[in-house]
Amino acid sequence: MTLPAHHAFAQPGLLPLLTSASPEALDSLDFGLIGFDADGTVRQYNAFESRAAGLSPQRVLGQSLFTHVAPCMNNFMVAQRFEDAADAGSTLDDTIDYVLTLRMRPVKVKLRLLSDPAQAMRYVLIQRAL
Amino acid sequence: MDTLESEYEALLQFLYLAPVGIVQTALDGSIAMINPLSAQLLMPLSRDGTLDNLFDALEQVAPELRNLVGQFPQAHGTVCDSLRVQLSAGIPGKKDARMLSLTVLKLDDSRLMAVISDITQAVKRERQLKQSEAWFSAVLTGITDYALMSLDPSGRIESWNQSIARVTGHSERSVIGRPISLFHPPGAITSDRIADRLVEADANGWSLDNGWCMRADGSRFWANTMIAPLSRDDDLPEEERGYALIIRDITDKREAGDSLLRASACDYLTGIANRRTFFEAAELELERWRRFPRPLSVVVIDADFFKQINDSWGHPAGDEVLRNLAQTLSATVREIDVVARLGGEEFAALLPSTDLEGALKLAERFRTAVEGQQVMVGGQEIRYTVSVGVASMDSQVSGMDQLLKLADSALYAAKKAGRNRVWHKRADHVLAGLEDGTAWG
Repeated sequence: MTLPAHHAFAQPGLLPLLTSASPEALDSLDFGLIGFDADGTVRQYNAFESRAAGLSPQRVLGQSLFTHVAPCMNNFMVAQRFEDAADAGSTLDDTIDYVLTLRMRPVKVKLRLLSDPAQAMRYVLIQRAL
Repeated sequence: MDTLESEYEALLQFLYLAPVGIVQTALDGSIAMINPLSAQLLMPLSRDGTLDNLFDALEQVAPELRNLVGQFPQAHGTVCDSLRVQLSAGIPGKKDARMLSLTVLKLDDSRLMAVISDITQAVKRERQLKQSEAWFSAVLTGITDYALMSLDPSGRIESWNQSIARVTGHSERSVIGRPISLFHPPGAITSDRIADRLVEADANGWSLDNGWCMRADGSRFWANTMIAPLSRDDDLPEEERGYALIIRDITDKREAGDSLLRASACDYLTGIANRRTFFEAAELELERWRRFPRPLSVVVIDADFFKQINDSWGHPAGDEVLRNLAQTLSATVREIDVVARLGGEEFAALLPSTDLEGALKLAERFRTAVEGQQVMVGGQEIRYTVSVGVASMDSQVSGMDQLLKLADSALYAAKKAGRNRVWHKRADHVLAGLEDGTAWG
């Protein structure tokens, strides 16, 4: 399955599409995407997020998301939500307001948290607040 | 060019991964640069979901920060070094009380640099160490200062010697068979607290406390009191167990260490306990409650229309109102109660051995006292009122965080109902979905 060129940040049913999308398709998205597995290891990191954070994918892929890539999300507002959903065996699809520290500047963003017990990959989608 | 870019990236990642929070702000606290660990620690504290201003983000837990920076006289230097900021009460044995350490440097006339780290675990270890140190210091120093006596299993004074006369001025006739509350000012200890201390002595090998004691002539001295079981044999029948009580006059030592102690335990503006001291006392009281459930209440107080007071009379007037509130509150409660400024214009009182009815009466007394007085600022009379939320501990309340939440929601209801009133919430009513009552409903 290929991902159409312009998937919207808020589009319903996004998770299975992302899982099977090609790296090129993910790179064409106009929002940041970080895909990670059940251990928290980053497996997908798209071009948008790479530019915003100033980090190339090879510095991020294979690293632990909440300790080595985005420690700012390692609290009950984000990391805990994924753990709780996994423990409960339930799906997670929630969008929250957050502040990321991209290139050390506080940036208001919307985070969409996506996970499903049936899917190996979990996602944090990042959209700059307008 | 390639090298420069990859060096920049490496530097960026170095800052992303730094295991301490680093923030650079303007002198008014507005954030210019911030690293991810700071966001991890600060986002849960932010009330409006932004991280635009460091002082705003920390207002509820470290209200003194803005003031510390504003009053810092030098052009550059350390504004505060490892200031402790308590975030949550924690649940004894389950969840540690969360604590941040905050250091703020003034770089020049336009920039501040703050370093934030999570010291929850370090504080926990330090507290255990402090306890053993206190024990050794009590045993090893200044033997001549002591009044030493034995207590019966119920905590009544059992034996007489001259050290008691020397330190307390009492005679044999006035102490034998009397409870140890005799040595404390009225309201400074309750029979529940005495029972707690005996149980703690049994469990830990000792119970240490610093506080006011009173001589036979009514004069006070700051004392270190230690209760230790005379035998640690658990098989001993209860009526044969006894305790030793040591009272040590440490007034001199207190004065020496006073300013330091006050700076770390008290709110800079009002002089009453700060948030951290409140949570420490609350945690101890909750441990006691878990052992022997008995009445325990909290009162949460908010000055009504405080922003308007600040806006129309100026910040010095607002500060004066907060000081007046703290004084009035201190004058309303007993000595054993802990009153504290939790942050901003929010205050709290922890009331051991006090049930909901007793707490409501006290809250109402406090509310009317505030209503009936005025604060003088620069020749102007200011009147203000308070809203009060009250909640009591029971088996359905999981811990101090939840108890405070109940009191907070009662406070919110009091505000919504028009302010200048006392409301309460009961955990069983909240769980059953019943509407909570007004003070006397």
